[in-house]
Order: sequence, then structure tokens, then C-alpha cells
Amino acid sequence: MEQKGPSRVTFYVWQLPVRLFHWINALCIVLLIITGYLIGNPVALQNSQEAHMGHWFGTVRLIHFAAAYVFLFAWIYRIIYAFMGNQYARWTNYLPLSQKQWDEFKDVIAIDIFMMVEERKIHSPGHNSVACLSYLFLGLASVFQIASGFGLLAPMSEWWIADLFTWIVPMMDGDTNVRFWHHLMMWFFVIFTMVHVYIVAFHDYVEARGTTSSMIGGWKFVEEKDLQK
Amino acid sequence: MANRIVVDPVTRIEGHLRIEAEVKDGKIVEAYSSGTMVRGLEIILKGRDPRDAWAITERVCGVCTTVHALASIRAVEDALKIKIPPSAELVRNLMFCAQYMQDHVVHFYHLHALDWVDVVSALSANPAETSKIARSISPWPKSSPKYFGAIQDRVKKFVASGQLGIFSNAYWGHPAYKLPPEINLLGVAHYLEALEWQKEIVKIHAIFGGKNPHPNYVVGGMPCSINIEEVNSINIERLSHVKSLLQEAKTFVEQVYIPDVLAVAPYYTDWAAIGGGLSNYLSFGDLPTNGYNDPLSFKFPRGIILDRNLNEVVEFDVNKVEEYIARSWYTYGTGDNKGKHPWEGETNLNYTGPQPPYEFLNVEGKYSWLKTPRWDGKPMEVGPLARMLVGYVSGREEFQEVVNGALAKLNVPATVLFSTLGRTAARALETQLVSNWSFEFFDQLMANIKNGETRMFNNEKWDPTTWPATAKGVGLTEAPRGALSHYINIKNQRIDNYQLVVPSTWNASPKDPQGQRSAYEEALVGTPVANIEQPLEIIRTIHSFDPCLACAVHLYDENGSYVHQLNTF
Amino acid sequence: MEERQTFWDKMQEKGYTRRDFLKFCAWIGAASGLQASSIGSLVHAMETKPRPPVLWFHFQECTCCSESFVRSSHPIVADVVLDHISLDYTETLQAAAGHQAEEARRHTMEKYKGQYLMLVEGSIPTAANGVYCCIGGHTALDIVKEAAAGAAAIVAWGNCAYAGCVQGAKPNPTQATPIRDIIKGKPIVNVPGCPPIPEVMAGTIVHYLAFGRLPQLDSQGRPKAFYSRRVHDTCYRRPNYDAGLFVETFDDENARKGYCLYKVGCRGPVTYNACAVTKWNEATSFPIQSGHGCIGCSEAGNWDNAPLYEHLPGVLGYTSETDADTVGMVAAGITTAALGVHALTANARKRKQIRKQIEESPGGK
Repeated sequence: MEQKGPSRVTFYVWQLPVRLFHWINALCIVLLIITGYLIGNPVALQNSQEAHMGHWFGTVRLIHFAAAYVFLFAWIYRIIYAFMGNQYARWTNYLPLSQKQWDEFKDVIAIDIFMMVEERKIHSPGHNSVACLSYLFLGLASVFQIASGFGLLAPMSEWWIADLFTWIVPMMDGDTNVRFWHHLMMWFFVIFTMVHVYIVAFHDYVEARGTTSSMIGGWKFVEEKDLQK
Repeated sequence: MANRIVVDPVTRIEGHLRIEAEVKDGKIVEAYSSGTMVRGLEIILKGRDPRDAWAITERVCGVCTTVHALASIRAVEDALKIKIPPSAELVRNLMFCAQYMQDHVVHFYHLHALDWVDVVSALSANPAETSKIARSISPWPKSSPKYFGAIQDRVKKFVASGQLGIFSNAYWGHPAYKLPPEINLLGVAHYLEALEWQKEIVKIHAIFGGKNPHPNYVVGGMPCSINIEEVNSINIERLSHVKSLLQEAKTFVEQVYIPDVLAVAPYYTDWAAIGGGLSNYLSFGDLPTNGYNDPLSFKFPRGIILDRNLNEVVEFDVNKVEEYIARSWYTYGTGDNKGKHPWEGETNLNYTGPQPPYEFLNVEGKYSWLKTPRWDGKPMEVGPLARMLVGYVSGREEFQEVVNGALAKLNVPATVLFSTLGRTAARALETQLVSNWSFEFFDQLMANIKNGETRMFNNEKWDPTTWPATAKGVGLTEAPRGALSHYINIKNQRIDNYQLVVPSTWNASPKDPQGQRSAYEEALVGTPVANIEQPLEIIRTIHSFDPCLACAVHLYDENGSYVHQLNTF
Repeated sequence: MEERQTFWDKMQEKGYTRRDFLKFCAWIGAASGLQASSIGSLVHAMETKPRPPVLWFHFQECTCCSESFVRSSHPIVADVVLDHISLDYTETLQAAAGHQAEEARRHTMEKYKGQYLMLVEGSIPTAANGVYCCIGGHTALDIVKEAAAGAAAIVAWGNCAYAGCVQGAKPNPTQATPIRDIIKGKPIVNVPGCPPIPEVMAGTIVHYLAFGRLPQLDSQGRPKAFYSRRVHDTCYRRPNYDAGLFVETFDDENARKGYCLYKVGCRGPVTYNACAVTKWNEATSFPIQSGHGCIGCSEAGNWDNAPLYEHLPGVLGYTSETDADTVGMVAAGITTAALGVHALTANARKRKQIRKQIEESPGGK
């Protein structure tokens, strides 16, 4: 007997530029965390090499700085796209300014975090408003990392881009404080990544809407009956 | 009716000192010594990593730099029972010696000499005569008539320019200046030479500690590594540099400093009877030759002399130290008239002096930011004179040799030591001793290196997780100005309490509740003042102590935490 | 009024030749980073400028700046004090004491109003109406304000005058305040360090004398010539850093080879100073060369960036027990636990929903 599953609506949620940004950003964050942690806590390598023969720590720093530039441009690109992309990519999603967003916020907390309600209706096939808020924080944290990081790099950089951020060092009372907060903020990204990956897996597991694959192909699949009219 | 005179600021010292004195019939009948600046470093130290304390306390004083760092690391090492490697001890000793030689020479020429040497009188000197005198007292090569003539010309032009700069408005021409113009010229020449030389000897600090003022130390040893096969380390080039600096220093001390002191002294023999002051002397001793825990091995012995009794050295007991605040701008919860051991130090800042601008302090009440330390209830003088006396009475031959030699040269009895002049002479004589010892330390260091004993740092207790939950320690040393002690109380890897009892607290403090004067005040009483508008005599005696007020003024825990008895001493 | 002598007059009197004089000018020019084409104007300045009056004030300090100043080897301090400037007030060196000293100061302040150079060593306590530092019966606060009013320019020596140094560290019980926070509307040159390098101090003065203007300053009011580079970026041990060769603890094998001190807390990467280039005590050494990391003594707030032997400060202040990574790891641990709890709960509470979905799906059952 031929079985028929529930009928699903297919949404093209994540346009290519959004997906591209996501993966570039993800790669940068992973690289920046690993190299950043190493810069803060260099491993003790036992070798008898002369200094002029090795450059591994310099390479670690080079990767960090290169990734930082990519990270910066990726964000600029994404912000521009926030004014050009489809409804799911729009900047309005990321600023919790409407009552609608806060209603959704409450629903999502109840459904996904505390799991008190077995509600399957969704407000939108794009990001839910809790996710949007977390991306807002990610964005703000990224702005801080970019400013503090390039502020620290500026005296060693010949390029005007790093010089754009020299103001942050006196504002934060010296390099040490900037480094400290730059380093501490790294842990925000670590924790964000953990939670983000878990929540995506959770949604996929519980809701069967193709959340994970959507960031590759762009498609999400929602059961008709789950859609809020 | 006595005249009150005020000297504020007392210049050519470290820090901010004010002296008020009452003069009657040309003599001081009462004196008040006041420290007029506080910084509150002990409060700031609380809660910090004990391994950092040396750097903060080193900044207590930039003149006697290094000594607070040394006292601090010793206090922490004492608390945590860290033994430092023998070569690290030797390097510390070498830095100690360099500090003494630099500090004493600078004190004599740049802080003290202008009390005895009249710069203006040097203008009328005959350079040829000066040359003759110079050659008769020392083989120092810079002694030609032409050389002194050039110096005199330089001073003449300087004076003629009408801008006297640092020499303006001093007591030139005061009748208490007794030196002939020729010796005054010699003094001026050596003032300039000493200024150039003093920046050389401290290169020893730069070699081992990276810089001077305020070189670096580390709890558990010294940060500089010795590796004679490496250019990035203390190697033979660095060590040879140290050796040649020590040799230059020895030459300068023996051929300039000591002969100058002995040449000037005969003109001021009246000052061998003035400014004696207290009759108790305290020295913690220093320069260990067998580790800091063996005070008997110290080059400067530890001990106390009471009532100028030159037959007995009394043992120092740290438990008998108490600090009073009856006349200091603090309050004690248990009443202002009772003393407190530094480990139980409880103090609240409480300024009760006149609101500035003021003309006189209220000397009937509290009048200083300095506390008043007492040992067994007795006021103590600390400093070079105390060290030399303790060494002399302890029967150390080296001490007896230099002291007796100088006394014989000047043809005076030992009792002249108890005076303004004695203090100044003792400083010079101990510089000679320190210079001699520096070579012993250097040779021993070289021998150690030859034998492969190059360890500089004990890593065992570096990690704070290896420390006990609570620990207490004391670090004793001899600053150039006298006995210096730091007391630390460590709790949960942090400083729970930190106290400093420093040389100028002993010497410059106000009266205790019994009305006993401390060293400065006692030494001033009886001093003649020829012209109350120009109290040269006051600053002579005060300078003979080499005041260092930034060290002396500090404040304690505002909340008055209780510190237990020390059990590691 | 008596004529004030020029540098050139002084040098002639001291028996220097014109050639010596020009060499001296060239040296100062080089030391101050002047281009060769400008040496001519410098020579002219030295020939015509009289000795400017200078007042050196001491407040909450330890005198290490004065001590450092007298360690200068080029020019040596005797030449500065006798020939280059007229140092009319300095508690550390001046012959006069008490009211005569104060009189000398007042005399200069009146006679050379608007012309004298004011050098300040130490911070100003502002708590309790300033009674924590009094000189001659006046508070430091009053003295500094009065003297600054008539000064041509102010040089703030050392970390005390620049940022409060040790007494300004938390909790700053006397409210030790830097000069730049008290005096506004006057040119202030900050020369930080504890103490500043001797030749940097002398160089700052000589720059002012030679060119008749203050050196170029950075955003923190420090002479660019000495404070625009990090110690780290000019350090001779830098190749070890890039090669990842680090001292792990004092006097270990790596320390004996002169590896980078980054892991024992060197503040070189966050400190702007000339230590690694100009070095100390006639270029004898500098802290890193002698095996101890830079402690960042020329940076504002360096004493609160404790502990010294970690290159990042502790989170709960001053000790290594809680650094940023400890906090991060604890937070990450808590997050992991929370996610674990969430995952388990999800399997329990969303079980029905998941089962239903599986059943509904064609391949499900």
C-alpha cells in the first residue's frame, strides 16, 4: 500500500548570499577562536630550533589577522544584504521592535526552551525571534571584536582599515583592557557556537523541517497544518 | 619667649618633610618633625598577588630604590618558606652593594655637601692651592690646577649669568660655613664628578635587574639567568662589566669620597658634639653569606645598642616592636595612647591638623602622617651610624679597623660618633666596607659559575596553588637609611594584610604618648641656631640622617583587620 | 636687567669650538628625530636662546623621576642644570630650604610669568581637600593650580603625574589624580614610565629648548618620538615570539637562551615606550634583556592589570586564580550541562510529537 505523508509547503528561505555568508562567517569564527585561544595561551613546544628557522606563532597570528579581515568584510557584506535580500534576510528581523516579535519570542521560549507546550504552529519559516535576538547579540559581539581586534592591530598595521579603530584603545584605558575584553569575548563565540549547533540539531530532530540542510540548499519544509494563518 | 621657626619644605631629601623648632637663646629647645604627604599603599596592596608586592612597594621610594623590593620578596619567601639559590643571593647582594655606594655618594655630595660647602666661597679659591690639597689627600688624577681652574671658571660664569638655578637663595655666606675657599672649590668639583659617576655604578642594577631606578626582582630568586655560553644571558661580557664598575666604584669611594669626608671633618669638629640625639641604635643587619635565615652570617650584623653602651649588643626581638599614633593623624579603636604591634596594625586616617594654607602645625596635638615605632617602648635611631655601631660592638674586625682608623686619623675618641658629624662619617666608612665586600660577592659568584652553580630561581612554590591557605612572613633588610621591615599576611593566595615599618618612620616620627622624642627631634634639641632666618644648622643635622619621607609615610588598613602573631620568625 | 646667556655663549666659555657646538646641535637634532635640513635652525636657536627658567614640583611621588633624570648620559645632567636650563626650584637638588626655597619659586613665578617651564613629578591627592600632600603649609592642589596658571608649558613626569601610578591604583584612597585631569587649557607633555627613561626625560627638555616648541604628541599627550612604538614590536626577542619560543618559567632552559617572556607576563605587547630601543642606563640593558618581562610601567592602569606574571589581568582582580579563560571554560561547562539537560528533557517531552511524525512519514511504519 502506498503511504502518503502529511503535505508540506516548501519555502526557499536562505538565498545564496545568506548561505555563503553563514559558512564564511562560521569558518572565520572557528579559525579566530582556535588561533585566538593559542595567541592567548601559546602551547609549549619543545624544540631546539633557532628563532629564525621557525615562525609557527607568527603563522597563527597571521591566520588570525587574515580571518579577521574576512570576518569584517563578510559582516559588511551581510549588512548590505540585509537591505537587499528576501523577507527572511531583512534587517527588520534582527531588531526586536514589534509586538509581534515579542509574542513569538514568548511562544518560542515556551515551546523550544522549556518545552511546556506542545504547539507546532510556527510564525515564520525563517528565523524565529529568539534566534534573531541571538544573532543581534552575535552581531554586536562581532562589532566589538572587530573594533577591539583592529584597534590592537593598528600600531602594527600599515593599512587604513585597522587605523579606523584606533579610538577604542584610549576609550577603554589602554591596550591591556582591550586585550582582556577581546579575549573574554572570545568565549561568547564559543558558547554561541555550541548553543547554535545544538539548537539547529534540536529543531531538525523534533520538527523535521530540514533546518540543517536549509543552510546548504536554502529550502525549508513545513507541514501545512503547522503554518499559522 | 621662644621663637618658632619652620623649615618646610626640607629640601635635598626624598619626600615631604617639615620641621618646626622652638629656639631660645640661640639654641633649639623643642622640635617637631612632620611628614606632610601620604599615599595609602598598604590599602592598595590588599587583595593582590603576593608575588606582585615587590613591584608596588619598590615604588615607595625611588631614591633608595631596590630596598623595598628586597624586603618584600623576603617577606613573601619567609611566609612561603622559599629558599633561594646561592647565586641569586649573591646577585641580590651585589645589587645591594651598588645601591649603597650610589646612594651614599649621592647623599654626601648632592643632598648633604651643600650644608658644609659654600659654593659662592669657591669663587675666591686659588686653584693651585686646591690642587695642592687634593694631591696631598688622594691619588685621584683629576687634581691639576688647570682642572680646578676650569671648574672655577665654569661656576664663575654660571654665577655671572645671574641665574643661580639650584644654587639660588641658599644660605651662602652663613657664618657656620667654615671651610676655606680652596676646599669649597674641591667640594664643588667633586659634586660635579660624583653626579657623573653615580650614573655608572647603577649599571649593575641594569645588568641584573634591567634598569635603574626600580630594577626588577622576582620572588624565589632573580629574573636574570646566567648562561656563560649564551649571548642572551648573563655571560662573561656582562660579568666583566659588573667587575669593572665595582672597580671604578672602589676607586671613587677610596680616592674621592672618603678623603673628602676626612678633609672636611676637621673644620667641623664642633659638630662632633652636636646632634647626637637618641642613645639607642637598631640594625636589622644584611648581606647574607649563608642564606637569609642565618643572621649570624650577615656582613652587617643584627642587633641593638642601648644607652650608648659600647660593651653589649642586645638581641633584636621582632615581637617587641610597637607603633604609636598618639601624635599622628590616625586613630586606633582601642584608644590613641596604646601602641600596636605592626601585625595588629589598625588605623584610620584622621587629619586633625590645621586646614591649609597654614603657618604652624598644632604641635600640641597630632602633627604628622608618620606613626611612631618603638622597640620595647624605647625610641631607636636607625641608619649607617646604628649599623656601624652594632658592627663595631659585635667585635667584627672589619668594622673596628675602619672606625678606629678614621678616629686615629682625626685624633678623636669614639664618643664623637654620637653626633651629626659621626653619622655622616659612619656613612662614608660603611661605604668603604660595602665596596670591599662587593668583590667578595663577585668572586664567590664567579666561583659558583665555574662550579656550575648557576641556578637563579626556585620554581617550587611559584604556583599559588602550592601555597598554604594562610601564611605570614617578615622581610628585614637594611636600607641605606636604616632598618627596613615588611610584614605580610597571605590568605587564599592573596595579600590579606601588608605593613611597612621603615627607617624614616623610626627616625622622623613624632613623639610617643610618653612624650619621648624620636631621633630627628631629639637630635635637634640643643642644636645652636645662629640666625633663625637661615637655620642651616637644622638642615645639617636633619640631612645627616638622610631623610626619606615617601618611605615613612604610608597608611594602614582602614578597616583595622587583626593580624595574628607571626610564627615563622 | 641682566642678560641671559645663550647656549653658544656658554659653550664658548667652556672652551668648546664652533665645530663642537655644531656637532652638539647635530646630535640633539638626531636625538629628536630632526631632519638634516632643519639643523640650521637648531644651531640658530642654540646661539640666541637664553637659559629658560624651569620649576620642578614634587607631589605624591617617590623621586624616582628625579633619580632617573640625573642618570641621563646624553646630555649629562650637570650640563642640563648648569648650562641648558635655570632650574630654580627642585626639592631634591636645590641648595635652599624652607621659606628661602619657596621664595626662589615665587620669584621665578612672578618674574617669568607665562615663560617658565613647569615640570611635575607626582600625582595630586584631591580627597579631604588635599591635606594628603602639603608643602610649606599649602596643599599640592593649590600649588599646582597656581603654578600652572603662569607656566608656558607643563611636563608631567612619570606614571604618577600621567596616571596616578601606585597610589592611584585601586582603591586609590587619597584620590591621587593625574595632572592632565586637574589642569586644563595648558600644553601638557606626558612623559610616562616608572620612572621614564633618563635620556627620554632629558630629550624632552632639550627638544623644547632647542626648537622653542613642544615635541609632537600622540593622543595621550606623549611625545611621539618615544612613545609611538610598542616595546614588543621593537624588542630584540620578538623573533622568538613569532617562532613560538617561550620562557615557561624563570630561569628555565628557555630563559637561559633568551626566549620570549610573553608567557611569564611580559607587558611588552601592550606598552608604548622606547625601552627596547633607547634602553636604560646608557643602553646597558632593559628589563626584558635582563630576564624579567616588561611590567608596563608607562601605561595608565598598569598596576590594576594584575597579576604581573600573567599577560592578561585576572577577572576578579589582581590574582591568577580566575583569568578570562577560567571564566569562559566555566561558562562553556554550564552551557554544555544545560544543553545536556535540554536534550534529555526534549527526548521525554517531545517524544509524542517525534513519534507521531515518524508514524506519519511514509517510511515510518
